[in-house]
Amino acid sequence: MLITLFVSGIVLGCIYGIVALGYSLIYKASGLMSFAQGDLMTVGAYLGITFYSYMKLPFFISIILIGVIMFFLGMGIERGVIRRLRRKGVEPIYVVLATIAISFIIQNGCQKVWGPVMLNFPSIFKTSTIQLFGRNFQTESIFTVIASFTIMAILQFFMKKTKAGTAMRASAMDPIAAKACGINVNITTGLTWGCAGCTAALAGVLMGPLYGVFSTLGSQIGTKGFAAAVIGGYGNFVGSIVGGLILGLLETLTSGYISSNYRDIISYTVLILFLFIRPWGLFNERTIKN
Amino acid sequence: MSAFIGNRNRLGIMIFIIVGLVLPLVFSAMPYAVLVCCYILIYLIAVSGFDVLVGFSGQISMGHAAYYCIGAYGSAMLHKYTGIPVFFTMLIAAVTATLVGTLIAWPTTKLVAHFMSLATIAFGNIVFQLVNTSPGRITGDANGLHTTYLSVFGYELNTYTRFYYFALIMVLLFMLIKYNLLHSRVGRAMLAIRENDHAANGMGVNVRFYKVAAFAVSAFFAAYAGAMFAHLVRYISPDSFKQTVSVMFLTMLLFGGTASMSGPIIGVTIVSLLNEALRPASSYKMLVYGVLLLFVILIFPGGILGVMRSMKEKIIQKRK
Repeated sequence: MLITLFVSGIVLGCIYGIVALGYSLIYKASGLMSFAQGDLMTVGAYLGITFYSYMKLPFFISIILIGVIMFFLGMGIERGVIRRLRRKGVEPIYVVLATIAISFIIQNGCQKVWGPVMLNFPSIFKTSTIQLFGRNFQTESIFTVIASFTIMAILQFFMKKTKAGTAMRASAMDPIAAKACGINVNITTGLTWGCAGCTAALAGVLMGPLYGVFSTLGSQIGTKGFAAAVIGGYGNFVGSIVGGLILGLLETLTSGYISSNYRDIISYTVLILFLFIRPWGLFNERTIKN
Repeated sequence: MSAFIGNRNRLGIMIFIIVGLVLPLVFSAMPYAVLVCCYILIYLIAVSGFDVLVGFSGQISMGHAAYYCIGAYGSAMLHKYTGIPVFFTMLIAAVTATLVGTLIAWPTTKLVAHFMSLATIAFGNIVFQLVNTSPGRITGDANGLHTTYLSVFGYELNTYTRFYYFALIMVLLFMLIKYNLLHSRVGRAMLAIRENDHAANGMGVNVRFYKVAAFAVSAFFAAYAGAMFAHLVRYISPDSFKQTVSVMFLTMLLFGGTASMSGPIIGVTIVSLLNEALRPASSYKMLVYGVLLLFVILIFPGGILGVMRSMKEKIIQKRK
């Protein structure tokens, strides 16, 4: 049983990790927190069902379509709401509140468009289970693990080693100085949110086959994703995955050995403890002071 | 109990009291309307306290329903398991919530704004989970808890109208507390902290103390309101204390206008009426909240009160 729990914990942890990657990306490149990430994931999952299951498009095409749509959705949110708020010069907390409002709208919107019933996401791969350590696991879950590490590596490389990534980080640290260096802050911020939207979409599509698709899919995972991000260091990509893994393992092992009732309490308590005692997380990510 | 209330404010207060006294008589044929008015009064207490935290000391709490919950469940459970009269359990529950609030506030207030919001959300969720799956099922878990009426000096408040007048008195009391708090050293210190806490620190204001105090006061208000809620509807379940309630408080406050006495009144009334109007289409409720919140933040961040103030200024300008 330990092996099953352990692998489930890793898979869950990778899901939290992908969500946390989105949060870290937005924070690293615009200094903001977005509560809408989780619900963007839900949209990604629903779009996945629409394209892959209802319209019977091949999976590869669906993913690309979803990626593009969500990219523009992310950019749209940034341009329509976030940028306007920043131009007004409101307190950053109002931006956070705006993303909460968007999250509500998306949740209820999904419910209205796709119905309140939980939908079934068909299996992506031809082999529906894989044998590992003598136990059976859904192929999608192993794929999730691989995908999350890949995305983490891509993001880490992009942010640290490429010009565009450095431009994004500069825009977040000091928009005025970045503009003085010739960086188009508006475009980089928009791109970041677009990328975060893509990440969320991917997470949603991966989670669909594992959990089914319903309108609160994202918000439940979303808050835990925050915990993962804080544990690893908010803004640190490796930290997001590591934090996610720790959280995922903690949750599944607690559910398995103690009781599944206390799963959420444990997660939130860990989040609060880290916020109080070590808000810069395990990887020493200092917060950007505004 | 000093009251530096000018003539203009006095008129506003008179109107408020008269309308408040008359309302149940107007609705005497519709007890449901009186119930809605009771809700408005209860939420008014909670949101007024919330205003002390958000509007005056400039902090954010997105899990404030936790204190509302502690007040409600605390009073109901204390009365159920110890038999202490409801009047006192309500106070004890409120004080307990204040202590809890102080304890949580102490490390929370040193966090940056968005981390503070995360911490308060997490706390709100923890409290919700604790009442949803409590050890030994003492809170009744998802099935909830039944409780009884509040009795004041032997007079049982077993109709909505009787409760309404009690609630009206409590509202006036709490508003008076808030008013005196804000027009004192404490209030001025909080305003200073809201504007620039480093500068306030430099002026000798004990920033940490007042930030925690703001949390404590808002917890007390919210918890007492929660206790009132418990003994009005006499059945509480975890569903009434979810994250959405916290967001509702925030919406009410921001919509009406922060840092004022009448802002919460406007916000609570309008959002409560909206709640009732949306009952047949309750599946759209979250959507409407989201849109409302977004509207307020994007277009008039000062809330309705802010809009009124700027309109008044424009009129004064035009006269000149």
